[in-house]
Parts: sequence; structure tokens; C-alpha cells
Amino acid sequence: MNPNSIIPTLLATAWLLPLASFVFIVFFGPRMGRHGQRAATVATAAIIAACLLSFTALGLWLFQHPLGHAAHGDHAAAVAPLAGDWYALGSFGALTISVGYYIDALTIAMFCMVTLVASCIHVYSNGYMHGELHDVIDALAPLSNGEPMRRHGRFCRFFQCLSLFCFSMLGLVIAGNVAMVFVFWELVGICSYLLIGFWRERKSASNAANKAFITNRVGDFGMIIGLMALWASLGTFSFSEIFSQVRPAATEHRLQVPDGMIKLAKQGEVAEIVKRHSGDLDAAQKEIAAQLPDWRAQGYGYGLLMLAGLGIFCGCIGKSAQFPLHVWLPDAMEGPTPVSALIHAATMVAAGVYLVGRFYPVFTPEVLLVIATVGAITLFMAATIALTATDIKRVLAYSTVSQLGFMMLALGIGGWIAGLFHLFTHAFFKSLLFLCSGSVIHACGTNEMPQMGGLKRRMPITALTMLIGCLAIAGAGIPTVVGLSGFHSKDYIVAQDLSFWSHNPGFGGIFFFVALIGAAMTAFYMFRLWYMTFAGNPRDGYVHHHAHESPPSMTVPLLILSLMAIVAAWNIPFTSIGLDGLLHQAQPLGTAQTVTGQLVNVTMPAEHLAHAHENSLKAEWMAFAVALTGFILSTLFYGARKWNPDEVRRAFSPIYKFLLHKWWFDELYRKVFVQPALRVSDWVAAIDKKGLDVIADGLARLVEWTSRIDDWIDRVFVDDIINRLARWTYSLGISLRVLQTGNIRQYVIWITVGTVALFVLMSMYWDYAIAGI
Amino acid sequence: MPLFDSSNSQMLTWLLSLIIFLPSFGALVLCLAYRASDQSVRRFALLTTVAVLALTIWLAWPGTTPGHFTLGKPGMQNMVSHSWIPGFNIYYLLGVDGISMPLVLLTSFLSVLAMWASWPIVKHVRAYCILFLLLETGMLGVFLSLDFFLFYVFWEVMLLPMYFLIGVWGGPRREYAAIKFFLFTLVGSVLMLVAILMLYFSSDLRILSPSQLQASHVIVDQSDAARLISAGTQQHTFNILALSEMGQMSDSPFAKTMIWGQKLSLWAFLLLFIGFVIKLPSVPVHTWLPDAHVEAPTPISMILAGVLLKMGGYGVIRICYPICPDAGYSLAWLVCGLGTVSMVYGAFAALAQKDFKRLVAYSSVSHMGYVLLGIGAWSATAGLQYNSDYWSVGMNGAMFQMIAHGISSAGMFFLVGVIYDRVHHRNLDQFGGLFARMPTYGGISMVIFFAALGLPGLCGFIGEFFVVLGAWSYSKALAIIAASVVILTAGYILWTIQRVYLGPEYKGPHPEALVPMTRREIGIAAPLVAFAILFGVYPSVLFDYMKPSVQNTVNQMTTWTSDVKDAPAVTQEAK
Amino acid sequence: MNPLVAPIGLSHYLVVGSILFVCGVLCMATKRNVLGVLMGIELVLNGANLNFIAFGSPMLRADQSNSIGLDGQMIALFVIVLAAAEAAVALAIALNYYHTHATVDVDQANELKG
Repeated sequence: MNPNSIIPTLLATAWLLPLASFVFIVFFGPRMGRHGQRAATVATAAIIAACLLSFTALGLWLFQHPLGHAAHGDHAAAVAPLAGDWYALGSFGALTISVGYYIDALTIAMFCMVTLVASCIHVYSNGYMHGELHDVIDALAPLSNGEPMRRHGRFCRFFQCLSLFCFSMLGLVIAGNVAMVFVFWELVGICSYLLIGFWRERKSASNAANKAFITNRVGDFGMIIGLMALWASLGTFSFSEIFSQVRPAATEHRLQVPDGMIKLAKQGEVAEIVKRHSGDLDAAQKEIAAQLPDWRAQGYGYGLLMLAGLGIFCGCIGKSAQFPLHVWLPDAMEGPTPVSALIHAATMVAAGVYLVGRFYPVFTPEVLLVIATVGAITLFMAATIALTATDIKRVLAYSTVSQLGFMMLALGIGGWIAGLFHLFTHAFFKSLLFLCSGSVIHACGTNEMPQMGGLKRRMPITALTMLIGCLAIAGAGIPTVVGLSGFHSKDYIVAQDLSFWSHNPGFGGIFFFVALIGAAMTAFYMFRLWYMTFAGNPRDGYVHHHAHESPPSMTVPLLILSLMAIVAAWNIPFTSIGLDGLLHQAQPLGTAQTVTGQLVNVTMPAEHLAHAHENSLKAEWMAFAVALTGFILSTLFYGARKWNPDEVRRAFSPIYKFLLHKWWFDELYRKVFVQPALRVSDWVAAIDKKGLDVIADGLARLVEWTSRIDDWIDRVFVDDIINRLARWTYSLGISLRVLQTGNIRQYVIWITVGTVALFVLMSMYWDYAIAGI
Repeated sequence: MPLFDSSNSQMLTWLLSLIIFLPSFGALVLCLAYRASDQSVRRFALLTTVAVLALTIWLAWPGTTPGHFTLGKPGMQNMVSHSWIPGFNIYYLLGVDGISMPLVLLTSFLSVLAMWASWPIVKHVRAYCILFLLLETGMLGVFLSLDFFLFYVFWEVMLLPMYFLIGVWGGPRREYAAIKFFLFTLVGSVLMLVAILMLYFSSDLRILSPSQLQASHVIVDQSDAARLISAGTQQHTFNILALSEMGQMSDSPFAKTMIWGQKLSLWAFLLLFIGFVIKLPSVPVHTWLPDAHVEAPTPISMILAGVLLKMGGYGVIRICYPICPDAGYSLAWLVCGLGTVSMVYGAFAALAQKDFKRLVAYSSVSHMGYVLLGIGAWSATAGLQYNSDYWSVGMNGAMFQMIAHGISSAGMFFLVGVIYDRVHHRNLDQFGGLFARMPTYGGISMVIFFAALGLPGLCGFIGEFFVVLGAWSYSKALAIIAASVVILTAGYILWTIQRVYLGPEYKGPHPEALVPMTRREIGIAAPLVAFAILFGVYPSVLFDYMKPSVQNTVNQMTTWTSDVKDAPAVTQEAK
Repeated sequence: MNPLVAPIGLSHYLVVGSILFVCGVLCMATKRNVLGVLMGIELVLNGANLNFIAFGSPMLRADQSNSIGLDGQMIALFVIVLAAAEAAVALAIALNYYHTHATVDVDQANELKG
């Protein structure tokens, strides 16, 4: 069979399996076994099947498109992605919004990563969520009488949401156009909302869920603007069509402002031309087409292209928790730990990075610079906050934010492969770290590291796997020889930074140093976490006493993931098949060349330049050195306890407070955005009640008053006239009564007199003309 | 004599009339059945609405056989025409096209659900059912009539039952709410009447060509055309199709100058627009809506939000734009501006509400703003080389938004009603924990509220997204403001969900009354949920109906822009 | 032309009729006795009758061809019949009145005055 049709079918099946599981659990969940226990089996089976299908697709893909040697520069014979549409959501004239697919090596790699991590987490959740199999007493959701709340377990609901999430996430990855990405973007958001708020009785959980969704919506607002800018100028959302318009083959896939954007920017002149050729649209279009090169040279439409890029990136800022919208991610740790591992570490938050990677061909160097800056700020800020956090999951959450910053930074300075490489390795080790922390929390019943300590004897497997995770994220390895997955990916990023610095002497150094400092801090806070949790003496006897190693359903996924955390960056032995090659193959056409900005003097060096021998060697050693520094410092403070962290804390008390309060972002946003919004809404409600309603009621009252006045006029004037008339008539009658004597003779006389008078009058005035004769 | 579409003379002429008047026939039967028990009265009324729904589905069923709806045909179908008041050229003219068909379906569908939701009403059941059925006749008549006079009659027919339904069966401040509703709508309809008469007296059928006359169903054959065209005096008409033809002519009779140097078409547009926008409703004439909703009984709220508001949008799309394209072009900023302001204003107002039903009412204001924005975004200009596609996206989105809002807002009002029936209060701060108490209710609410939030995969998203996409080509600023509403919408919906459904326990009075949903209630909510999902996942179901007609309207406007509006002065002088 | 010397024509009848009429009226106006008043009425009626007959007579009419001939006389007959009936009723009333009030003075009969 033709792989071009098999691969989409395989991936679509993998995509739809979790949906089927979701629908099934929605309707039959509670009736599946005791408390819906079987729901977990259904969901897990679905995702494992999806995983197998994805890897089959990967195999097929590799079979069809064997990985060449990492092609450097622009490869003309790039692998064409498989793209197509399943059905149209709406189609209007030349415009269509459809549900389709766009499959290249990146898509397949993402599928494998997502389904693999999700499978592990599903298995893990079977053990972790067993508390939900029976009635739950939730002390964190107190009733008004102070007692903890009791409720039924929601085991199957958890898996139902997980399945929905897997479906949405895979849909996001397979999407063939940006609109579809947006659709699933929102859907993963709502899954995240549902799962953060899984313990919906807890106020903190529902607050965090709301915060996550609304903050993401702020990013989505920007994304909609980007979508509109693209749609109005290019008339399509499809990846392949956008890319072919932005980087046409005719210009060797160099970025150029597409015709549609120029026309939109020169709308006034277009209108004039069209009006001049009244009725002859073809002639007008010919004239416009003739003008286009001039207009393009003058830079028209470039702003629109930047706007489109920035808008799309806004969405990524929200989803990937980048500065300034990072505030939701640490709060999202209110959700169950497997959720944090799957959604808020490995997959959903990485979707922003994925989209930046996917949409890379559209970003101008200026936009890339913005991306890099945002990434750098995020990476630094989050790392500093992680230094002081004591909640084990929050440390990991800030670490995630920081690592996502690394990826954005890498992408922003031209390191497409570096950024996405880190995405994959990070997914494995960060989900591993989260699952380990879940195992610890499961055992200790608390999130606070100061209550832990010395757990490594009680939980040897967890301690070991977590150590592997820490080593991987810190980038442990032997330079030039071998290293854990994080070692390789971080190495790529630092190398790219170095290359960027050499192309942009001056400000380019900032990114480089930020990355190095970030790497050092990463090593520091990760080992701080490990030491505080597993090493040393138990700090809380009760916690330590009750701690125990988790069941195999939880430890087996840990082992699988720690294996991946070690080897994810390696090629399959004796072949050149590996993530690195896959990403090289996936690199979008035209993005592997050095580019310079039009508006800002910035150069994004081509990625292969970073792999030049001396550059990468320098980078490897430097990265190794800073990671080692971080590790040593951490060991001195927390492992060997040579130095006392409290003294440092006291010495730098203002900074410590600043970091402990997470740079005051929450407070700032509450003051600057939330409260004003609520105040405006109060105003608006007041305008309605006291303004518009008063006007409407006032008008009604005005009418009422008018009618009162009318009534008064009626009574006083109109009625009076009528009454007076009646009175006159009456008195006339009274005065005429005297004639009514009852005396017949008198009457006869009157008759006579009257008749005579009539005759006299007639004789005097009668004229035939009166009768009309 | 009935007039038939010459191309399809086998059409069932009675079908549309039957659909409109079956409910009033049911009402008549109920008038006579003064001995019937309350329950049987309810059942009979429900049966009547179901019969109407069945007929509507028969009508909408795609097919080329008589009485079915031909998909892909832009013009009017199943037309019925009888001379009604010949002295004034008033016809009993009915017809259905892609714009009205979904709305007719929505009306009869929601009528069934609302009637079924009327079970808890125990006061004067027979009178209630009679008024309800009369209301249905009015609503269907508005969507199906093509003669302006007939349209106006149905518009008013619908008003009065609504007044009584709110004023008699409503909440504590029902008299105030009913009067407010009545007066607002009446002001609108009076302005509309003025506009109708303005258009009527300046219309002249003689300037239309025979084919145009035939297309608008004014005449049957060519001999009539000759008679009409050679008539000595002006031939006025109320025929909406004929008026549209006249309005789009290059020497339109409505282009004559009136007050303050503005054209007649502008004034007519404004008057009609005010009338429709009150119904829609848009800021600043929306204040009747929260009061009417809060006081109206649940089923009436469903009808009010689900159907009555749509008449505003329908009027704008069917009447304002085709008849007065000139004014629509120059006042597009007003239409879009009002839409955007409504969206933002409604969302902010919803954020501040403490009453559950008031919140939903304000969300309606916000959502209906999209409809105005989508319709008004006149982007098919010379600058876009008369590319009508973007406007078509916006207008289709607006039409879709009307249906989607019909589903989601009716659902939300029903859900508020379900909880109000149990605990008899609507204070948002006194709920909480309902998810645990009533799991099915919680699940259904999630879907409906997320549909209102515009979550992809549910019906609300498609309309909003398409409208915003269409608006960008008209005005970037408005589109950006409109897009920002997604944040506010998420804010008030999620906050509501948090206060009502989440949390450890229920905080208000009558906690013992919180029993799970009954079968009847699930039966009402389930179709709404199903359609919310269906329209969200496969919107083509609706687009297949509306697209040809909407596209036709847009194309007419575009042709008008390029051939009349932007026609060089030379050609006009040559004429 | 002097009527006294002219041949008997319409105007002579009219003069006699009007004299009768005036006598009747005067009689009605001056008499207090019911019977007198009744007599006056008869005189008035007869005066009118004379007019009818005069106008109705074919000999006295200028446009004879248009007349059927007997209309005036027929009306006079009606009047006579009516007068007889009226006289009968009036006399009955007067008689009854006399029985109850022992007088026929019309000025005394003011009990129905309203």
C-alpha cells in the first residue's frame, strides 16, 4: 500500500482512539467495574494502542524517507510533508477552513513522544489515583461547619479527562492548518482547566483552573489577531499554502512579504486602480500585479507579516507560560500530579514551542528577536523563583517555565533544531521528575520539601529515577564523549547562543550569558530539590515513618521514563537514526539560512554554523562548567551542609522576599488587570441600572406626566366648555318653561300668531330660488 | 389566485400556511376545550408544537420533490402568493430560503422544548398554552412572510402574547418588565412602520423589468407585466423582494433626497435598523432584555432568547441591507460599532451580575453583538477588489451565531430554570457544590456553558470565530476589540461555573430540594447538548442551508458596490 | 280684479274657507266651554275641507289633464270621517269629565299640566 495514505490513516486512528475512549467513558464510565475502575483500563489501552500506531507510522516514515546525513544549509530535495483535508468546517468562495492534516517528521516525532509519555502517565495514574476508587475525605475543602468534606471517588472521570486531553493534544499536533491548531489549542486549554480543577471542591483548585484558562485566553486573543492578519491577507490557514506564499520556491524559499499582505497594506491605491479600471477587474489586477515588486521593495506589508507572527507568538506565550503570561503554570500545580506531568510539563505547555517551530517559516527576524527576548526573560525569571520555592511541585513548575524559556530563546536566535530538540528531551525528563515528585507526595502526603528529607532509604527506586531526572535536566555528561539527553539538547542551545553572539557582537552576549546563568541555576535548584527530599536526615518523623515505596504501576513508568531521559538524544546504536536526524529532516524549507532583519539590525545565524567544531566544543565545555558549578554550590548548601542557606537568605533578605513572592506578578496583575476589569464591569452595570434604565424609566415617567397634564387640561378646559354648554341649555329650558302653561287657548293663540308670522315672513322673503326651483 | 413558481409548479402551496397557522388552530381548539384538565391541555399544546416541528422538518428535508427544501438554491422556495388587500397591493406572500429556513427550524424546535419545559407552570394553564401557541404563529409568520405589511402584522401578533406571558406568569416585578418589553418593542415597530410606509409610497413597480417582477413574485406571466409597466399611475408595493430589487437599482426610487439633505434610503434604513436593533438587542436599547428575562418564566425566557432576539438579526439581513444598500454602505461603521460595543458592554455587565438569570441575559447582549458585527462588516470594496468572500464569511458567521446562540442561550436559561424550580433563588453567591449534588445537571451545564464561552467543538465557537475573521477585512480595530471579548467571556462564564457548580457545598436555602434532574428535564436538555456538539463539530449541516442565500445577498451587495456605488460619474451622466 | 264682481272661481272658495278657518280659530281661542272649543275645531276642519274640495275640483283647476279628478274630495272625506271620530272621542271625554268634575270648563282641566 501507499505509505502516503497509510501514515495519515495510522496517525488519525491514533488521534481518534482517545476520543473514542472519552466518549465511551462519558456514557459508561460509572458502570464500568467498581467505581468505574475499568475506565482506566479502557483509557490506558486506547493510548497505548495510539502509541503503537504512532511508532508504526514512524517506522513507515523512516522506511520511506531514510534520514540522510544531517543536511547542512538549505536542502533542495527536502522531504515534502503529507498534507490534506478531511472535511471543511466552512467554505466560502475561495476561502476554506477545514479539518486536515500536515504530517512531516516533526509531527510524527511529536506523536511518538506524546503518546509514549501519555502511556506512561496513564499507567502511573492507575496507581496514583487509586484513592479515587472509594469515598474521599478532602481536608482541603472544608465545609462551613469546619468539617472536611466527604464525596464519592471520581476515578473514571479522571481518565475521561485524560483521554479527552490526549485527543486534543494529538489533534493539535496533526492539525493541517492554523485554525485547526487554534481549535485544539482551546480544547487542550479546557482539558487543562478541567484537570487542574479536578478537585473542584477546593477553592484553590478552581481558582487555579480559572486563572489558567483566562490567562491562556489572553494569549489566544493575540493569536486570533495573528490568525485574522493571515486570513485577511493570504486567504488561507493551511500550513502548506501559507508557507508556499511566504517562502515561494521562486525565491529559494527566502522569506518575502506575500502579495496579499502588500495589497492589504496598499489598500487605498488598490482601490484607486480598481476604480480607474471601472468594471474591468482583470486589467486592474494586471496593473496591481505590475506594481507589486515596487511596493514590496518599499517595505509595504512587512508590518502585517510581523503582526501575524507576533500574534501567533502571543498564543504561544500563553500556552507555554512565557513571560508575561507565565503566572498560571505554577498555580496549575493544584491539579493531580500525573496531570502536572502530562499537561503542564511534557505536552501541552510544549505546544507553544511546537507551534513556534511549526510556524517558523513565517517569522521575520524581528519577531524572532522578540521570541528570543521573551524566552530569555522567562528563563531567567523562572529560574530565580525556583531557587526559593519550597513546594516540590512548584519548584518543578518554575523549572518547566524556565526550560520553556530556553526553548523559546533557542528558537528565537535561529536554533530551530536546538529548540525543538530540547522540547523532546525536556518532555521525557520533566515528566519523569513530576512523576517522581508525585510518588514522593503519594508517600508523604505533603508537597512541602522542608517536611521531607532522608527519603532515599524508604523509596530507593523513586530516589534513583529522580536523580536521573535531575542529572538529565542539569545537563550531565562528559563533554565530547557522551551525556544524558539534557546534556545534548542544552549543548545545542548554548552553541547556538555562542554563534548568535559572534554574529551580533554586543547585545548578542546577553542571550548567551542569560542561558549560561539559567543553566547554572537549573543545576542548583534541581539538586537542592533532590537533596532536600531524599538526602540527609528526616525532618518530620511522622512523614518519614509513613513513607513507603510506590506500587509497581507507578515505579515501572518511572523506570521507562528515566531510560528515555538518558537515551532520548542518542541515535539508535550503529545507525544514524535518532531524534537529531529526524529534526534535521523536519526543518522547514528555507529556515536553515542566515537572515538579517529589515527594521532591526539583527542577524540570525544559520544553525549549521553553530555546529562548527570549535564553536560547539567551546559551548560544550562552558555548559558543562556552569552545570557543574550549580551542582557543587547546591551540594555545599544542601548536600554536604557546609554552608547554611539561611545565612544567605538573611544577607539578601530583600531579594529573597522578592523571589519568594514570585516577583510580585500575581499582586501586580490583580492590581492592574483583574481589579480594574471588575471595577469597569461594576461601572457598566451601574450605567445600565442608573443610566440607561433611568433614561428609559424617565421617558416612561415623562409620558406619564404628559398624560397627567393632558388629563388636567381635559378636566379644566375641555370638560368645562361642555358642562357650561349643558348648563346653558338647561337654563334656557327653565326659562322657556313659563310658556308651557297648559292653557289651550293660549296655545291656540300662539299657533295663530306663529302661522301668521310665518305667512308674513314668507310673503316678504319667499323666493323660488330658495327652494331651488 | 395562488401564484406558483413557474419552474416548480407542483409545489405544495399549503405547507407554509399550515406551518404558520397550525399553532393558532391548536390555540382555537384549546379556547373551546374549557373542560379539559390542565395536564391534557399541556399535552395537546405540546403535541401541536411537535406537529409543527414535524412539518418544518418535512419542509427543510433536502430534496427536489414538492415541499422539500432544495439545497444550493439561493432564491426563495415554496412561495405562496394570494392577493389580500388589492387596493393597496398587499399580498399574502410567503416563502422560505436559506436565511429563514434555519431560523424557522430553530423556532419550531425551541417551541417544542419550551412547551415541554412549561410543565411546572400551574397558573391558568389553558390561557398560557393558548398564548404560547399564538406566539409561535407570530414567530413563524415573521420568518416566513415576504410582504412587508404581512411581516409587520406578524411582528405585532407576536408582541402581544409575549406581553401577557411575561406580565401574567412572570416573577415579582413582572408588570414592570412586561410593560418595558412591550414599550421598547412597540417604539421599534412604530419606527419600522414609518419606514415601511416611506418605502411603500416611493416604490414604483413600473421601473422593474418583467423578469425582475417575475422573480419577486409580483406577477405570474408577461401579460401582467405589460399591464403593470404601462399603468398610468405609480404602482406601490409592499413586496420585500421587489423593494430589494428597486433599492439596488442604479436609479433607485429610494435615492431621492429627504430631510437634512440625506437620502430617503438612509432614513428608512435608520428607522428599520432602530426597530431591529431594539429587538436584537444592542446597546444602548438593550435594557428591556435583562428585566424581561429575569421576570419571564423559564420557557418564555428560552423563547425570548432563542427566537425573538433573532428577529432583529433576521430583519437587518433580510430587509435593511437588500432594500437600502446605500445606507448600509455608509452606515456600516454604525452597525459594526454598535455590535462591538454591545459585545464588550454586555460582557462587562455580565461580569458584575449577582443574579444568575441576569448574567445569562447580559451574555445574550454580548453574543448578539457578534451578529451585528458579522452582518455589517462591508468589506467587499474596491480596496479588496470587490472580493466578497470575507464579507460572506462574516455574514455566514453571523447567521450561524444566531442559531448557535439560540441553542446555547435557550439551554442556559433552561438550566437556570431547573435550579430555580428547586431552590427558588438565583443569587450567584448562594450556590456552590451543585456538581456533586446533581452530577448530570453539572455535566450538561458544562457543555452548554462552554458552548456559550465559544469553546471549539461546540456551536458557539464557529459563529464567533467566523464573524471575527470576517470583520478584520472591514476594520482592524473593531476586529481586535471583538477578539478581546473572548477573555471577558471566559472570565464571566468560568467565574459563574466556579460559583455555582464547584466548591464543597451548597450555600443557599432549601438544600433538601436539590434532587437530580428528572427525565423530562434531561429530555429537554439533551437535544440542546446534542445540537451544540453537532453544530460545533460539523457546521456544514447549517452552512449547507444558509450559504447559498447568504452568499447571494452578499453578491448582490457587492455587485451594487461595484456597479452602482463606485460607477464612474460619466456613466451616470450618460444615463 | 274685484272679487265681488268676478265669476265664481277658486279664490272665492278660498276666501270662504279662510273665513271659516278664522272663525274656528277664534272660537277655539275664546271659548272656555269644551263644547265650544270642539265646535271651533269643526269649523277649522271644515274651512280646510273647503280648500281641499276647491283645489280638487276639476272645474277649478288650470291643469285638468294631469288630475285624476277626485283627490281633493277623497281627502275631504277622510277629514270628515276623522272629524266625526274625533268628535265622538272628544265628546266622550267631555262627558266623563263632566261626570267627575261637574264642569266642562277647559281652564279647570289642568290636572295633567306638567
